[in-house]
Amino acid sequence: MTKPRDDATAGLSRRALLLGAAGGGLVVGAAGGVGGAAAVGAVQSASGESIDLARSYPFYGQRHQPGIQTQPQRYTVFMTFDMVSDTRQDLQVLLARWSGAIAQLMQGRTIGSVQPDRTDAVAADTGEALDLAPAGLTVTVGLGPGVFDRRFGLAGKRPRRLAPLPGLPSDQLDPALTGGDLSVQACADDPQVAYHAIRDLARMAQPTAATRWTVLGFGRASAGPGQKTPRNLMGFKDGTRNIQSEAEYDRFVWVDDDAAWTRGGSYQVVRKIRMNIENWDADAIGDQQHVFGRRKAEGEPLSGHGEFDTPDFHATKGGAPVIAPTSHIALAAHENNGGVKILRRGYNYTDGLNQFGLLDAGLLFVAYMNDPAHFIGLQTKLGRADLLNEYIAHIGSGVFFVPPAPKQGSYLAERLF
Amino acid sequence: MRSTRPLAAAATGVAALALLLAGCATAPSGAPTSHGASQVKVTLTNDGSDDRCTLEPATAQAGPVTFTVENKSSTAITEVELQSQQRILGEKENLAPGLAASSFTVTLGGGSYQFYCPGATQETQKFTVTGKATAGPAGSTATLLKQGTDGYADYVSGVVADMVTAVGTLQQRIDAGDLDGAKSAYALARPFYEKVESDVDGFVLPGTDPTDNSGNLDYLIDMRASNLDPAVGWHGFHAIERDLYTTGITDGTKTLAAELVANVGKLSTLSKGLTYKPEDLANGAADLLDEVQANKITGEEEDYSHIDILDFAGNVEGAQQAFAFLRPGLQKIDPSLTRQVAAQFDKVNAALDAYRDPSQPGGYQLYTDTIKTQDAPKLSQVVQGLQGPLSKIAEKVATAS
Repeated sequence: MTKPRDDATAGLSRRALLLGAAGGGLVVGAAGGVGGAAAVGAVQSASGESIDLARSYPFYGQRHQPGIQTQPQRYTVFMTFDMVSDTRQDLQVLLARWSGAIAQLMQGRTIGSVQPDRTDAVAADTGEALDLAPAGLTVTVGLGPGVFDRRFGLAGKRPRRLAPLPGLPSDQLDPALTGGDLSVQACADDPQVAYHAIRDLARMAQPTAATRWTVLGFGRASAGPGQKTPRNLMGFKDGTRNIQSEAEYDRFVWVDDDAAWTRGGSYQVVRKIRMNIENWDADAIGDQQHVFGRRKAEGEPLSGHGEFDTPDFHATKGGAPVIAPTSHIALAAHENNGGVKILRRGYNYTDGLNQFGLLDAGLLFVAYMNDPAHFIGLQTKLGRADLLNEYIAHIGSGVFFVPPAPKQGSYLAERLF
Repeated sequence: MRSTRPLAAAATGVAALALLLAGCATAPSGAPTSHGASQVKVTLTNDGSDDRCTLEPATAQAGPVTFTVENKSSTAITEVELQSQQRILGEKENLAPGLAASSFTVTLGGGSYQFYCPGATQETQKFTVTGKATAGPAGSTATLLKQGTDGYADYVSGVVADMVTAVGTLQQRIDAGDLDGAKSAYALARPFYEKVESDVDGFVLPGTDPTDNSGNLDYLIDMRASNLDPAVGWHGFHAIERDLYTTGITDGTKTLAAELVANVGKLSTLSKGLTYKPEDLANGAADLLDEVQANKITGEEEDYSHIDILDFAGNVEGAQQAFAFLRPGLQKIDPSLTRQVAAQFDKVNAALDAYRDPSQPGGYQLYTDTIKTQDAPKLSQVVQGLQGPLSKIAEKVATAS
């Protein structure tokens, strides 16, 4: 799904190369065969994938918000907010202002003057993305359960399946990394573009809403249609059996059986999952593959030969199952969960080192579904028995309803007001 | 079915009325009138490439003029302003597509004005008012702001005079070897500096190089351990604080106290006759809140005495006074910003009230590690909520130069 090769100008490719360098080994393939693209070839990945920083996506007039079905970009900044104001009008104005700003940002434009004429003016846009391309930026806004509590008089309009997630087995949630009345997911192929979007939207939110928690993600940990399956920080491919087809999106992702304003929306479940990196890295490859139920390099199930072979959960060898029933893929597979699938669109994250000098990193799990019960069911099983639990901890959590995209001249969730 | 939108029901009514009148009243000399005010419709649109800001009509008769602004489809334009020679006379913000129309009214004398739509393809256009150049409220906004800056100058003088007295008391206690009394006097003296710091922290003693801290009064009075200049050494409040809370009163402490009294005296002399422009008050208030975020909430200001919450309250009081003196003029220019800033000050003050403790000198609890760990994020958020809107005041009240 890359843009045609004649779009890959030398300038773009140069930036792609810089981006690759900044990303610490990010692989960037050459889309064009001339000029600067040859330089990019030096870091061309085996996958042949390329980044086109000139790409932009529309915000208005789509059936769904961007950033869900959109092919995952390389970077994300995710942030949640608490409403400080308790008036409906402030919420309304915030969603309207965010909508206008997001439309601007996704075209690679500023949200106002970077350098106002009046010396006493404070700039409307902070400016760090001024000369940067759109970089495929998408911004996805979600409404948390708190939007539908008594504060705003919207309790009667709560999306039917929106409620705080219940406590789940193995939860180690930190309240400081949990919840929020609003969520904003900015994804882009240039991390500075994604950060600029979040920063300026957070600034715009003042004093109506206050920041609650945030995660900076990189190295998309899930594949979109046509993309090679990327890897999580455990080194394993993540998303081999992700939702791909339009039919699956319609069946599992988009809401179509609730109030009119919710149709075309989706539920967003976010989990900050810390990995015990050092312990994992000291684990023998045989055990790592046993934990996942797949081999590491190609990603094939232990019962098969190719990445996309359907796992055979009944295969046995010497009387024992080839894929352990408590392996990650066995517990998560739709075959073992009444056919349920969720769209995973996560990213890897790192927060540097923790207080003990250990690598502090993991997975920002982001998933979209038309019923949060699907996640709850899966995580209830995984939290109880997953072999992977020895190496991970769910430390942050949030659930949000992502309304459909607004039409031109309208704004997100206008019909709520 | 769109439900009712409380946002601007009244404004929508005004717009509808204006349209109705526009339909039946043809005013050759400009905008139709309604409720005694000329009605101008401002429409923001985007046609795919250009962002437009359309005035209908672009003229009006002298007197009250109501501008009703509706953003139909322009995401680039989020505010409009009516200006006279760069001075903002009235404005509307938060003009996102989809929101109901909203309006502002200004009283204008005859002459030429600028209608400014930042983000539009053509940002500035002329708005013409026919008739007499009246001495209307457009002039009185400037008068109100002038009264405000004069009043604020008196406030600063009063605070500086109190500071002179308070550091005198501190010196007496120190000279008397009264450690508890000195600690108490220290706490009572500190807030005066915090209230007006942004107005008085720029003084360099006459005849000294501006890069030499030995002539920088703010350095000599308020420097903390973290930013010491080894060539000049430590002087002022915080050097005294260190002594009072570590070694106790020594001869060195007495020397420091005498220096402080002398330097505050110089400050008092230099600050006499200071005059302020409206934007100075706004920028000063913003600086005081920056101080809160950078030094008080972190607990860096009062590393030994831990009276950071008292200093915090001092910064907030100073900022609120500046705002209060600007308020009558600002109210005319931007009532919604005025309301917003006032509401945020209320929130900050309510947060501070939680720490009141009459048993402490100065009246606030000490900023203990426990309080800091538990409450710093909350305090930071509530101050951030004020900083955003407060930072917008300066350009609204700036005097065209």
